[in-house]
Amino acid sequence: MSTAALRWARRNLFAKPFDVALSLIVIPVLAWVLYVFAVWVLAEARWEVIGGSLTVLMTGIYPAEQLWRAWVSVAALCAMFGAGLGLSLHPGRTALTVVALAGATVAAAAAAAVGAGAGTLAAGSAALGIAAWVGVHRSARARRLALPGLLVGVAAIFAVLSPPGFELWGGLLLSVVLTITVSILTVPFGILLALGRQSRIASLRVICTAYIETMRSVPLILVVYWIWIIVPLLAPDTSIPSLLRGMAGYALFFAAYVAEYVRSGLQAVPKGQVEAARSLGMSSWTVNVDIVLPQALRVVVPSLVGQILDIFNGATLVFIIGLTDFLRAGQMILADPQNSGRTYEIYVFLFAVYFAIGGAITFASRRLEAHLARGSR
Amino acid sequence: MTMQIAETHHIAPTRRRFLLASRWLLQAAIVAVVAVLAIWLALAVREALARKGIQFSFDYLSTAANISLSEGLVPSLDGVWPVLEPFSPSHSNAQALVAGLWNSLKVALSAIVLCTVFGTLVGIGRLSTNWLVRNLSFGLVECVRNTPLLIQIVFWYFAVVLRFPPANAASNWFGGLIASRSGVFLPGLAISEDASLASWGLLAAAAVSAIAVLIVAGMRRKLTFLALAIGTVAAAAALGFPLNFDLPVATRFGARGGVALSPEMTAILLAITVNSSAYVAEIVRGAIDSLPKGQWEAAASLGLSRSDTLRDIILPQVFRIVLPSLANRYISLTKDTSLGIAIGFPDLFNVYGTVSNQTGRNLEGVVIVMLTYLALSWIISICVNTLNTGINGRGETR
Repeated sequence: MSTAALRWARRNLFAKPFDVALSLIVIPVLAWVLYVFAVWVLAEARWEVIGGSLTVLMTGIYPAEQLWRAWVSVAALCAMFGAGLGLSLHPGRTALTVVALAGATVAAAAAAAVGAGAGTLAAGSAALGIAAWVGVHRSARARRLALPGLLVGVAAIFAVLSPPGFELWGGLLLSVVLTITVSILTVPFGILLALGRQSRIASLRVICTAYIETMRSVPLILVVYWIWIIVPLLAPDTSIPSLLRGMAGYALFFAAYVAEYVRSGLQAVPKGQVEAARSLGMSSWTVNVDIVLPQALRVVVPSLVGQILDIFNGATLVFIIGLTDFLRAGQMILADPQNSGRTYEIYVFLFAVYFAIGGAITFASRRLEAHLARGSR
Repeated sequence: MTMQIAETHHIAPTRRRFLLASRWLLQAAIVAVVAVLAIWLALAVREALARKGIQFSFDYLSTAANISLSEGLVPSLDGVWPVLEPFSPSHSNAQALVAGLWNSLKVALSAIVLCTVFGTLVGIGRLSTNWLVRNLSFGLVECVRNTPLLIQIVFWYFAVVLRFPPANAASNWFGGLIASRSGVFLPGLAISEDASLASWGLLAAAAVSAIAVLIVAGMRRKLTFLALAIGTVAAAAALGFPLNFDLPVATRFGARGGVALSPEMTAILLAITVNSSAYVAEIVRGAIDSLPKGQWEAAASLGLSRSDTLRDIILPQVFRIVLPSLANRYISLTKDTSLGIAIGFPDLFNVYGTVSNQTGRNLEGVVIVMLTYLALSWIISICVNTLNTGINGRGETR
C-alpha cells in the first residue's frame, strides 16, 4: 500500500526536478491554506447566522404567512428537475444514491436550521423529484409529456407565487424561477433570429444580424435596466411589475446568444440534406422544421444547457431594477448591524450554493455533450 | 415560400415576373414593418416624455454636472494644450461620462494584459505533469466559472479589500507594495526633472534595441542588439537617468507616491482579472489539446524537453489559434466592467446612472452608453482581427 502510494507520488509529484520544485512550493502552501480554512469552518465560524436567515436567503421578503406558496413551487421545481433528469440520465444505482444523498443532506440542513416542518417538506420535494426522474425514464408516454409538462409547471409556479405580488418575490427562489423562465423564452426567439440571420431575404438577414450583434456588444446590465425604464414609457396606463420587465430584458439579451448557438448548429447540418429536401419539392418551412432544425437543435443542446448557467449567473444583476435575488438577500442580511461580523460566513454559504448549482449545470452540459458525441459516432 | 423556384428556367416569363415582384414586395414589407415599429417606439417615447414635460435632447451634456466622482480623468484645455485633469463637479455632464469611460478603460486594459498572462499560465498548469498543479488549476477554473462574476466582485471588495489593515497600519510588502483599506499603492515610474535630452535619446535607442532583440532571427544578431540595449541604458544612466522609480511611502495618514489604486479599482481589477484568467485558461488549454498529439511525440523523439516543446513548438501555434476566442473574451471583459456599480466604482455605466438621476435624462444616456460599448467592442475586434491576419497571414507565406 505505502509502496504504491510512494510510487504514485514519485510519478505524479516528483517526476522531474521542475515538478519537485513545484510540489515543494505548492504542498506546504496548500496544506496551510486548507488547515486555516478547516479551523475556521469547524471552530471559528458562527453558522447560526445562516440558520437564522435561511428564509430570507431562500425567499427574500416573501410574506411569512404565504410561505406555503413557496413550498409548492419548490415541489414543482423538484418535479421538473426530476423530469429533466429522466430525459437525459439513466437512474442507475450510483446516480440514484448521489441524488438521494444530496436531497437528504439538504432536508437535514433545513430541519436543523429552520425546523422539522421545513425538513419534512424538503425531503418530500426531493422524493417527488426522484419519483419524477424514475417515472419519466421508465414510461415512454411520460417522456412525451415531459416538455409540455415543463411549460405547465412554469405556468403553475407563476400562478401559485404571484397572488402576494411580483415585487415580493426574492431570494434563491427568484433566481431559479427567473433562470428557468428566461431559458424557456429565449429558445423560440433565438431560433427565429438564427433562421432570420440565414434567410435569403436580405432585409430580414440584415435586421436579425444587426440585432444579434448589438445585443452581443452591450452589457447585460444595460439592457435589463433599459427595458425596465422604457416599458412604462411605452405602456403608461398599465403598470407592469419590475420582475416581468426584468425577465423581458434578460430574454431579449440572451436570445441573441441562443441565436448564435443555433446558427452554429444550422451550419453543422450538411448542405446536401437541404438540397435533397428541396429537390423533393419541400417548402422552405418544411425543410427547416422537419429536416434542418431537429438535427441542428440536437447539436446545440449542450450549449443551451451551458447557457442556463450564464443566465443563472446573470440573474445576480436584478439588483439594478430593485429586486432581491439570492446574492442581494445575503447582502441585506449583512447590512443588519448585528450580523456585521458574519461577512465570511454569508459569502462562503452563497459561494457554496452558487457553486453547487453551477457545477450541476456544467456537469449536465458535459454529460449531454459526451452522450451526443457517442450517439452520432 | 415562393422565391426558391425563381432560379429554375422553365417557368413562364409572367410567372417569373410575378415571383420577382413578390420577392421585392416581401422585402419592402419587412422594411416597412420594422420602420413602422421603430417610428411607433420613438413617437410613444416622445409622447410619454412630453407628458412629463421633458424633451428628448442632448443639451444636458454641456451643462455642469454637479456630481462628484471618486476617481477619473477628463480631457480639458489648458490654454491651447489638451490636458487630462481630475474630474470635479464643475465639469460638464459629457466630461463626467468621459471620466467614467476613462475608469472603465483603465480597468479593462489592465485586466486584458493581466488575464492573458495569468490565464496562459493556468492553462499550461492544467496540462502540467505535476498532479497537484494540474488539479489545482482545474479547481480554480471550475470555481471561478461556476459562480457569478458579481459575487466575486462584491467578495473581493467587502471581504478582501475592505478587510485590509487601516491606512495608519498599512501592510508594506517587499518594500514597494503598500496595501490598506483606503487603497493599494504600487511602485511606479516617474520622470525626473533634470534629465537631459541626450539621455532621453539614449533611452529611446535602448527601447528600440530591446524590441529588435525580440524580433530579429539568429543568435548573433540577438546578442548584438542585446549588447546595444545594455550599453545605451548604461550610457543614459551615466548622463542622469530620465526615469526614476517612484516608491510609495507609508505615512501616519496613509501612503503617498507611486501608482495609487482606489479600493474599488483594486477589487474590480482583481475580480475581473481572476475571472477572465479562468476563461483564458480554458481557451489556451482547448487550443493546446486541439493540436495533433504527434507534435509532442515528434518533439520528444528529437530529444526536446517538455518545456522546450511547449515554448518553441506548441505555444507559437496556440497563439495563432486562440486569437478569435481571446477577442471574444476581451469584449466580454470590457462589458463586465459595467458591474462596478455594485461596489461604487465610477465606471461608465455607474456614471451614466448618476448623471441620469441628476438630470432625468435616462434615454439619451442609454443611447450614448450603448454606442460607446458598441464602439469598444468593434475596436477590440478590429485590433485582434488585424493582429490575426498579421500573424496567420505571415505564417502561411513562410
